[in-house]
Amino acid sequence: EPQFKNKIVGENDITLQCVDQIYGVYDEKKKLLTGQLRKYPEKLIIYCKDLRVFNFCLRYTKEEEVKRIVSGIVHHSQTPKLLKRLFLFSYASAAPNNTDGRNQTVMFETLEDWRDELERTKGNVKYKAVTTNEGYRVSEKLPLYFVVPICISEESILKYEGRGIPIWCWSCHNGAALLKMSAFPKEQDDSTSQMQKAFLDGISKTISKPPYELLKMDDLSSSLPSLQDIQTAYTRFKQLFLIDNSTDFWATDVKWFSLLESTNWLEIIRRVLKKAIEVAECLEIQHTNVLLIEESATDLCCVISSLVQVMMDSYSRTKSGFQSLIQKEWVIGGHGFLDRCNHLHKSEKEEAPVFLLLLNCVWQLVQQYPPAFEFTETYLTVLSDSLYVPIFSTFFFNSQHQRDTNKSGESLKTQSGPFRFLTVWDWSVQFDPKALAFLNNPLYAEKPKPERSQRKTARFKHQRQLSLPLTPAKPSTKRGFFREETDHLIKNILGKRIGKFINSSDEPHNSLREFYDSWHSKPVDYHGLLLPRIDGPEIKVWAQRYLRWIPEAQLHGGGTIATAAKILDLMEEVQSLQVKMDEEHSQAVSGDVHSVPMLRNSARLSSLFPFALLQRQSVKPALPTSTWKDLEDEDDLVKRDDEFVDLSGDML
Amino acid sequence: MPGHGCQGRAGCRSGGRDAGAGPGARGSFPGRSGPGAPGPPGQSPCAMSGAPGGRRPTFPGLPGERVLEEAAGARQRCGNGGGSIPGTLLCTDRRLAFLPGQALGSRGLLHSQDEVALPCIHKLVAASSFSKPKVLTAASTLKFIPEELAVFCRDFRLLRFYFPENGLAPQAFRVANAIAQAREAAAWLGDAAEGHDGWASPGETTPEEDEDEDEEEGSSTVLLFESLRDWEKELQRLGAAGWRVSAVNERFDMAPSLPQYLWVPSGLLDHDLKRTFAHFQERRVPRLCWRHPGGGDLLRAASFHPASEPGSEDVRCLEALLLGDRGPCVLADTAELPTLADIQLAHLRLRALCLPGAVAEEKWLSALEGTRWLDHVRSCLRKAVEVASLLAGKRCSVVLQEPSDRDLNCLLASLVQLLGDPHARSLPGFQSLVQREWVAAGHPFPRRLGLLCRDSPREEAPVFLLFLDCTWQLLWQFPADFGFTEAFLLALHDSSFSPYFSTFRFSCQRQRGQRSSTPRLPSQTYRPMGGWQDPGGHRGGPHPCTFPPVWAWGRRYTRQQREQFRNPAGPPGPAESLTPGTPADPCPRGGARLVLTLAKGSLCPHALPWWSRPPPRPPVRVSPPPDSQGTQGGLLGTRQPPPGLLLPCTAGPCVRLWHRCYLRGLPQEQRGRLAPSLAGLAEELQLLQDRLRAWNLRRPH
Repeated sequence: EPQFKNKIVGENDITLQCVDQIYGVYDEKKKLLTGQLRKYPEKLIIYCKDLRVFNFCLRYTKEEEVKRIVSGIVHHSQTPKLLKRLFLFSYASAAPNNTDGRNQTVMFETLEDWRDELERTKGNVKYKAVTTNEGYRVSEKLPLYFVVPICISEESILKYEGRGIPIWCWSCHNGAALLKMSAFPKEQDDSTSQMQKAFLDGISKTISKPPYELLKMDDLSSSLPSLQDIQTAYTRFKQLFLIDNSTDFWATDVKWFSLLESTNWLEIIRRVLKKAIEVAECLEIQHTNVLLIEESATDLCCVISSLVQVMMDSYSRTKSGFQSLIQKEWVIGGHGFLDRCNHLHKSEKEEAPVFLLLLNCVWQLVQQYPPAFEFTETYLTVLSDSLYVPIFSTFFFNSQHQRDTNKSGESLKTQSGPFRFLTVWDWSVQFDPKALAFLNNPLYAEKPKPERSQRKTARFKHQRQLSLPLTPAKPSTKRGFFREETDHLIKNILGKRIGKFINSSDEPHNSLREFYDSWHSKPVDYHGLLLPRIDGPEIKVWAQRYLRWIPEAQLHGGGTIATAAKILDLMEEVQSLQVKMDEEHSQAVSGDVHSVPMLRNSARLSSLFPFALLQRQSVKPALPTSTWKDLEDEDDLVKRDDEFVDLSGDML
Repeated sequence: MPGHGCQGRAGCRSGGRDAGAGPGARGSFPGRSGPGAPGPPGQSPCAMSGAPGGRRPTFPGLPGERVLEEAAGARQRCGNGGGSIPGTLLCTDRRLAFLPGQALGSRGLLHSQDEVALPCIHKLVAASSFSKPKVLTAASTLKFIPEELAVFCRDFRLLRFYFPENGLAPQAFRVANAIAQAREAAAWLGDAAEGHDGWASPGETTPEEDEDEDEEEGSSTVLLFESLRDWEKELQRLGAAGWRVSAVNERFDMAPSLPQYLWVPSGLLDHDLKRTFAHFQERRVPRLCWRHPGGGDLLRAASFHPASEPGSEDVRCLEALLLGDRGPCVLADTAELPTLADIQLAHLRLRALCLPGAVAEEKWLSALEGTRWLDHVRSCLRKAVEVASLLAGKRCSVVLQEPSDRDLNCLLASLVQLLGDPHARSLPGFQSLVQREWVAAGHPFPRRLGLLCRDSPREEAPVFLLFLDCTWQLLWQFPADFGFTEAFLLALHDSSFSPYFSTFRFSCQRQRGQRSSTPRLPSQTYRPMGGWQDPGGHRGGPHPCTFPPVWAWGRRYTRQQREQFRNPAGPPGPAESLTPGTPADPCPRGGARLVLTLAKGSLCPHALPWWSRPPPRPPVRVSPPPDSQGTQGGLLGTRQPPPGLLLPCTAGPCVRLWHRCYLRGLPQEQRGRLAPSLAGLAEELQLLQDRLRAWNLRRPH
């Protein structure tokens, strides 16, 4: 009985949206299957978006059945589809649910949610939630309610369908705000672009003067990789992990690091993290507002603004806070999940793993500072898998407008009323309480809930530390001393030169570097600002997500789960203590002390736990079987060839 | 470290040399003595060149250590951001040390970031704005006043000091020269040298009370393998029936580089054993290292001597030693492992890569691959996995055979035991393992670590550091199976360059014995961890070295630091030794004649050099192993590996760079970061306790 089971998607189930590529094997040759098929393969390989790889042998299946199943799979998973044909709708009408499983997640569907958020971040002095878009008067891409600077008038919002309007994302504790804006498309007409320019200038003037902070604009389309680059990098990257046989795995293994580097995926992660640090520096140190600009303000804007909030706002590092953040910036914010995930197979061009990019970046933070997060990497992994589970509405619409208009179910069963979609945040739909325990970080350094005054002193202390031990930087003129020397040393050591000794203080982003260095030279405050390390060796592969189905990479009894098991044991002990104390001190013992006994007494788990438990288990044979046969049965020891038996090959 | 190190900012300009410490002042080396911790034992403050009034933190030198030169008002650079810490730069005849003038909140895990033992300095560079940077050696004279000193260390650190232009020039000049000179003087002269004045043994002045509670933790459990008792005790633990301790090499006359005591088959008499020495290089005969409870024996030996032509009587003895009646014999050579030159080159490349700014961020991974260091780690691990699974799966004996039997055999033998023996994964067990397979087995540490005078750079190859890296990989992959932590491995890594310990200063047991300057009664010998001290145990053998072994951690690390050596998430309780398995079935006679080689993951029949014909077919089958696992396909079947056996993954994504060790030279890595699991756990426990307490208080209301 697996301990970690998805109730919706079984271990051998692949949702149609989860199918990535389908290959047929004809006479040992792999061929990509799309559209109409002339010839039917003897073997089917299905690569999934959650990195699973399935091999199905069809050699012993009747021909007409092969035809039916293969063309059925290809048709349903690879060809364009109508939105209404998504399983989401059938499920919502067939299984009406009344659970409100949002788990304290703020959905940002009402004006109150936005007002509360403004209040929470103390942004309500200078920013207001507006109702201008009720009935989607302004734009179908914008959410029903959003927040703009108080000085922005309704007409200006309406003027260009919300383009050119700074939309509030979040306010920093010092009052500086993070804003986003969708840019005007490149205009052929000179006079129009003149007018647009004037409009923009007017807007930026009004929000640059007091009470607003100085404004720093950042056009993400020029300062970050394009969506196309991101898509290309990810396509190459995931291919490293879609392994359909052991031989392939070991063949790529020799060049692992250079292959990894050549995909450019980690580099993109680094650039995104770096950008987020830049923004954080502007907000935190320079006290300037930052305005992120992008064509639609729903892709990289979402990534950067979410990352900045995760780094700067410890509320976003709790589970409900993170979920609210995803709701705010992505789901309601209007990220085009449907197009970006290509759920409908409408257009490959629109596809880009933008949300996955965010999860990858957040994972870097989670693994660098585990105690700062209430959730675990397993949470992020199952969240990424949920992108492809078509019973939740969360990731299956392009905008709030699209969702609302399709919610009514006008054409079909009007009697059943509007669809009641499930939200992915109701994790109990997918997981048992036992499995849910894996999503919570037992080592989360929870924020003590002090009075306001205490919090202030804590912050003061923090800042004091910031300035104390480091004396101000000397001018960089002399910093370059060791450039030649290091070269010399390297030459001496290697007889050739590996690289230049680049003293990073010579770089233009001096204040950024200083911010980064001085932050990293202090002890980490898990409830304060959190900056990721972005140096070359620090950006890592999200092993749990990408390696979880690869038996060659598994460790029996090892991996982080080995420690986690111990920790859970300890937690359990502490909790039982608590129960005991509970019994002593109070009359009513609420039996809901959720204990996590699942790992106790369990055998040594594999490092792929909780995922690979569902999969075959194999130990890579270190030595060929035949040799052992020889030892037992040495009839013709000398004549026998050395043959290698690949045991992990027989997978299914 | 609040309240420490502040009794005098190092700012006194005229102070300089004269700033000494009052006698009896306790050390306040940051990181060395935490609040409430007992000061390091045996470290009476060293005599400074006569000085009134402590104007700066006391420097707690070792007994007999002399401060040669010092510069107050120096600053240590930290981080790229241009931050720096004021303090005093000191050069003694043993080390270079920096005493920060003010205590800092977050220092490294180990105090070592503030000091460098002189042999650990790889290169010393002085720079000034008026002149090109200059590499300082004892021979070269410094022609300018240095403004900045960079110390490139063998342990991957890069320390940078600068001297603010405030009239300190003469001191800067003097201290730079002093370091260059002292480094030369401190070089270990190695095998050839007889007396080393610069290395006066601290043993003379070390009072016995050093063995106070600092050594409490299981000092008796670390076996140094210098006495017969240790060998017997360990053999008993292994439950290796059919093996005995032989004292045939007690006077080192059989094989000078081998230890005094050897584990050999009990059926083989010393008289017969003596016949075998000549047939192996360096006379290093096969002997037992470890026995798997299932009956698999691990042996190690040098390769067969090319010129030997054993007579029939010799052949009988050789085969009794090699094959015995122990089932098939598998010879595992080191052909697939990196050569010493490979290791050295990879290590140098790695060191270059880990310098700040050595490579652009986006090229980091391919540069890392280019060092090939991780490849070497992987091939060592892979080989060890093969051998360990052979031993666990089958009743056979594996003979590790390396030409010299002094380098990679040490590494492999210890790795196999780490994989197969839970005891070796406990802290005392690991120390005993290193002691037996490296120190006693005669790994030439001084040459391999490059601690010798510059005469033999060719022989430098950090095999031991490669082993530590492999161990770290295991630790990282199996965090719950080890009794020690990364902090311990780091301490061991750093200590290998440190001149204060006997462990890494000699090439073999014989040399170790000879170097003890004056013979004294064993009862007077400083042996903190030696445990058993029976004069009879030495039976007239050489006296043990008077330097403390590296395992005397209490000399360098505070109790808190040493607590970090133990893994709180490790195996519960003290690691039990393997329960002696059911005695394997006695092998049918004759089956023992099967000899195989292990190459590229497969076994092939092989002939021993003196066999004229192809390997004879064994007349009788080898009986199947006691457990039927081996028959289920593959070495271990498709099941989980047997408990106690670790099978690390050697695939690319699973082998990682030891960040905390190698990236210490990068400024952003310099500050203390504990292993997340460890720190997190400790912190969490604290938090839980606090919460429990708070809850407890709140609850009654």
